Order: sequence, then structure tokens, then C-alpha cells
Amino acid sequence: MAMNLSSKKILVVEDQAIMRETIKHILGSFGARLIVEAESGINAITAMRIDKFDIVLCDYNLLRGKNGQQVLEEARYLKLLPVNAIFIMVTCEQSQDMVLTAIDNKPDDYLIKPFNRQQLLSRIERCHARKKYLSSIECEIESGNIYQAIHHCERLLQLDSKKMRLQLLKIQAELTLKVGDFKTAEEIYQDILHERELPWARMGLGVVAFFLGYYEQAIKTFQDLIEQYPVMLEAYDWLVKAQESLGDDEHALSSLNSAVTLSPQSILRQKKLAMLADKTDNLAVAKKAYTAIIKLGKNSIHRSSSDYSGLANVYLKSNAASEALKILYELNQQFHNDPEAKLRAALLETEIHQMKGNKALAQQAYGKAFILNEQFNKQISRELRLEMAKTFFLNGNAEVCDGILNDLVKTNIDDKSFIKDIVTMCDAVIGENYAETLIQHIKKELVDINNKGVSLFQEGNIKGALAVFEQAIAKMPNNYTILLNMIKIIIHDIKTSRPDPEKIMSAQSYINKAIQIGIPHDQISGLQAELDAIQYKSNQ
Amino acid sequence: MPNTHKPPIDFPAILASSVHDIKNSLTALRALLGQLENTYKDIKPSEFRLLEFETNRMNSSLMQLLTLYKIDLSQFSLAIDEHSAADILEDVVAQQSTLLSLSNIQLITECYGELFCYCDSTMISNALCTLVNNAQRYCLNKILLSADQEDDYVVFCIEDDGQGYPGSLMSSDYKHLPQIDLVTGNTGLGLFFAETIARLHIQSDKQGFITTDNNSRLGGARFKLYLP
Repeated sequence: MAMNLSSKKILVVEDQAIMRETIKHILGSFGARLIVEAESGINAITAMRIDKFDIVLCDYNLLRGKNGQQVLEEARYLKLLPVNAIFIMVTCEQSQDMVLTAIDNKPDDYLIKPFNRQQLLSRIERCHARKKYLSSIECEIESGNIYQAIHHCERLLQLDSKKMRLQLLKIQAELTLKVGDFKTAEEIYQDILHERELPWARMGLGVVAFFLGYYEQAIKTFQDLIEQYPVMLEAYDWLVKAQESLGDDEHALSSLNSAVTLSPQSILRQKKLAMLADKTDNLAVAKKAYTAIIKLGKNSIHRSSSDYSGLANVYLKSNAASEALKILYELNQQFHNDPEAKLRAALLETEIHQMKGNKALAQQAYGKAFILNEQFNKQISRELRLEMAKTFFLNGNAEVCDGILNDLVKTNIDDKSFIKDIVTMCDAVIGENYAETLIQHIKKELVDINNKGVSLFQEGNIKGALAVFEQAIAKMPNNYTILLNMIKIIIHDIKTSRPDPEKIMSAQSYINKAIQIGIPHDQISGLQAELDAIQYKSNQ
Repeated sequence: MPNTHKPPIDFPAILASSVHDIKNSLTALRALLGQLENTYKDIKPSEFRLLEFETNRMNSSLMQLLTLYKIDLSQFSLAIDEHSAADILEDVVAQQSTLLSLSNIQLITECYGELFCYCDSTMISNALCTLVNNAQRYCLNKILLSADQEDDYVVFCIEDDGQGYPGSLMSSDYKHLPQIDLVTGNTGLGLFFAETIARLHIQSDKQGFITTDNNSRLGGARFKLYLP
């Protein structure tokens, strides 16, 4: 009853020729015919771009370039793996630092070297069976239909397979957290903990406390977990978030530092450390982290020009202007076709030359930034645009600064933490009341648009109302109120006219968007239920 | 504290990289063995069985060395989750399958009903593999590997039809490494490791443990691992 691999497309990523031969031989003995080999991470990614694989066996310790973890992260990030694909990480030892680095992005399973043919087959079979069992859930998650994914969990749980029960509960709890249904998540975790003290369930309770705003309680939970499981990096990550939310940046920094010491290979955690250290003026820590990031970035999809500008900025703050310029030179070399990189460099050069008193050079750099901003304005990340607004203001160009800030506030009005960043910058650079006035003004504008749409709707002019909200969404894609009203009107429209599959799809895509930007569960779940009812009826 | 007179040796890092290197060599060695073995059509020289047994043993010892070292440094915690006992037995059988195919020893498994246990499955199957590997050396031709529920414990049991344990391995105190027996080369490390891992499994006031006796249903040695 051995599984036949003859129809499976398999990628073997392994740097040792002898191991590739052996694995190929084993796979061949189980009928596999479609086997592609890659001896490096880069070749593995290229192979995955060309073919869609059913199974990927990837060695963790690839000698040169990317390691197995980076291959996995990149493949997931670039969506090179089909939903039902199996990714098995082949490792040399049960090393915890490695397994733990992987927490952000876990493979389907691990296989420890050396292994024989029976072990390899049994691993593949087990992954395959699990994936097949969970495929209805995974497919919905992949399309962003989180509520449907939860329904599938509930349905499978009713079948009462003891073997899959805990896994299903774990997925269900994570999904309910995702849609913001904290009460259900808490119940699931409590029930599990009632049976057995499992670290991931305890962790889940901490996460629930975090989202409900009980930061002290969350911190206590995460600290207890770390004491018991000193290498549980996920607990560190949540501890940092909770401490930051309390405004306790110093403790957050020290927790983050411990996590980075445990897993120095994780570039995203290093980035977080660099930014937090920079924010709290721990320049030595920031410098060390940025240097590590630049080194790790050489093989990573998460490499960014901001790694270099970040380091340059730290040098600038430590009064090491020539060091900073050296890094900016490197930045320009490494990213010579990237407008965002050029803009970052130009902004910092402006500041450095100003500090050194080189008026002509500062003016030249500022001119460069000005032109780049006009060319690539909207394609640039919001953090960088905020940076630009500041430089424009400081160089006497308040008008351009106003334009940028207006747009930033409008598109991010519901993102409390970014709005806080804007206010902090404005208070420090422009003046006390500037940001407050701007925010009030934009809120009023929003209310006006909303009122206009709602009154058109109440007059029965559905088409007109939809047009108003569509326009508003194009301008402010992340606004809670507008998005929710849009969904309500589409659902009303479907109910009062014939059910139109296209309209149903449009409503579902707006609901998915709403979940994605974090609109709370109690505001979306009712709408989802209404839409489900419509769909159910139209399918009858 | 670092010694100021000579450069400090980062022993954990050196141990980890040495184990890593040796394991890589071991993996390559086994791959080569496999290729060599494939060149024999029907009857394979009996040396292959011994080579398989010895490489298995080297591999287990390395893994135990690294794990025990980490436990000693308090850098280790179990990855506990719920597992099917049948899956763990299947892992052990799979790991031993090459060696079994080269000998005439029969490994029988028994698992009663849908049995689940909370444990670190990698560690438990490692401990069991080492002991089954040893049993292959000391049995006549049969090993029985089973899992069952006994009160509040899930029990994994390995029984064979050999001579049974010598007295030195039947003391109830596995916490101390027995003296190395230079005649048989038996260090008792496998039992010590199993005991250490079992004891890390704790549920409220209950703790895992192991027992050894010669009450095997097959007439030889019997090993039992209890998980709360």
C-alpha cells in the first residue's frame, strides 16, 4: 500500500552530489519519474519559478548562498509553492536554534539525516495525508475567505477524528484570532489547557490578552513561557509587542535583544531590533543590528535599501558623517536602478551636507530628492514619504510637505500607530497643533463623503451611493467606515435585486479586505453571515 | 569567566559543529554504503548488516550526546504535542527497516486501539530506536514493540527473545551512568538517555520513567517507557 510517486513532480535541493544521487534513487524506487535537482538555493528558486512542484525536499545547510530556511521563506513570499505542495526540510541534527529560526515560516515537516527509504516515504505519506485532510481549509485561507475556512474547521471537527482534533483546534483558534473573534479563540485555548498544559495553547491565551488590551497580563504569560521554554522565540516576539504597546520601549528592546541573541539568523527580527534601538537612541545596538542585516540581506528576499539608509542614519546621529556618506555610496552601488533607494540616499545626503555646512552639496542633493519625489511619489513606502515631508519642510518647501502629509493622513486615518508617527514628526518639526488640525480636517472630509453616500442610498439612489464610495475607496483604500458602508450597500443591493454572482464576489472581496486591514470581528461577522445566507439561498 | 591567559574555547559551538561535521560524514557514508549494496543483486555479504548496525549506533550516540549536553546546560526544552502512538511505532520501524531487511530478525508491533500521548515525538522515537537497535544485537530472532495504556500512563514496551538484561542494567536507578563494561562494550547510555527524556515528561504530579526486567513475553529482556 506504499504511496506511488509516479505522478508527483519533485524538487530535490541538496548541495552534496552523493546525497542527491541517493535521494533520487530512493524516490525512483517508489515510482517517481519527475525529479528536478538543484544544488543551490538560487537554483531551487529558479526551478520553482519554472515548474510547480508537488513535493520539495530541501537541505537546510546549503553550503553557499541561501540556506534552506531562506529558500522556503522566499518560495512562500513569491508564492512559488502551490497550496497543496509539501515542503520537507532535511536537517542534520535536531538543532533547536534552527527549528526556532523557522518559527516565522515553518516547513510542513522536518526529516533528520541520515534517513533510509522507509523513513523518507513515511514522512511524505504523512504530510500528504495531513495536507489532503486540511486542503478545504487551506484553499479558503489562500483566497482570503477566513470565515469559510473557519466553517470548514468546524465541519471537520464534527467528524470527530481524534487524530486531527488538536491540529484543527489550533488552526481554528488562529483563524478566529485573525478575524478578531477573541472570545472564541480564548474558549478554544482554555479548553485545550484544561486537558493539558501545551505551550502553544498558553501562548494563544497570551495573544488573546494582548489583543484585548490586557498588556500586563499578556506580558506575564509570555514571561512565564520564556522561563519554562527559554528558546521559545514566538513568546519573545509577542512579549516585545506587548511591552511596546505599554510604551515600555526600554524593556521591549532588551527582550528583543535576547531573542536576536538566540536567533541571529532571522533578518526580520534583526530589522525590528535595529529600528527599536534607533528609536530609543541605543546607537551601538542599532549599528550592530543594521550591520548584521546588511550581511544577512545578501541572500535574503527581505533585503532593502532602508537597511543601508538606516545604518547611515545611525552614523549621522553618532556624528560620524564620513562613515554615513560611505554607506550611502554603497547604497547607490547596490541599488542603482531603484528610485526608492536613490531617494533615501538623497534625503540623507541633504541632511549630512547641511550638518557639515556644505550648502552647495546639500542643495544639490535636495534637488535630486525633489525630482525623484515628483517622479515616483505614490510608489514609495509611507515611512519614506513621511521622511520626505520632513525634509521638504526643513528646506522651506511647506507646500509639497502639506501635500504629502495630507495624503498620508487620508490613506492611513485608521492606522493608529502610523498616525502617531505622523503626529510625533509634525510636533517636533513643524509645530504643536499642525497635525491635530490636519487630522480633524480630514476626519470632517470623511464624514462629509460618508454622509453624501448614505443620503444617496437613503434616497434609493444605490448606483449613485456606490459611485461615491467607490471613488472614496480608490482614494482611501484602508478606511474602515467607507469600506464597511460599501459592503453594506452592496449586500442591500444584492438582496433587493436578483442575486448576481459578480456582486456576491465583489462583496466577499471587500469583506476579505476588511479582515486584512484589521476591522474588528463584531463589525464584519454580521455582514459575512448575511452574505453567506444570500449565497446559500442562491445555490438552492 | 573567560580566562585571560589563553583564548577561550567556545565548547558548545565546537561540539555543535563537530557533531554536524560527523553527521554529514555519516550521512555520506551511509549513502555510499547504499550504492555499494545496490551493486549486489541477490545475496548481500553479511558485513552490510554489521555496517548498518554500527552506523545506526554512531548516529544514536551523537544525537544523545548533543541532547544530553544541552539538557545539562539548560538549553533544552521538549517540544510537546499530542501524537498518535501508532505513528511513533511506525517511525521506529521505519528507522530500523534497513537493518531488519539485512537480517532475519522479525520486528512485530502491537498498538491497542486509537492511542494518543503527549510527548516530544522526536526524542521518544530516538530513545526507542536506540534500544530497538540494541535489541537487534541481543535477541535471537524476534522483537516485540508495543504501545498500550496503563492507568494514567501510555507505555511503550520493547521485548525480545534473547538472554535478557545482565544484572547491572536492571538496577532501578538509571539516573547514574553504569560503569562501562569493557568486555561487552555496553555503556548503558541508551537507557540513561531514555530515562532522562522520560523524566522530562511531566503532567501535574506525574513524571515519566522507565523500567527494565526479564519478564518478556518472548522470554528475553523487557524495557518499558512510561509517559504521563
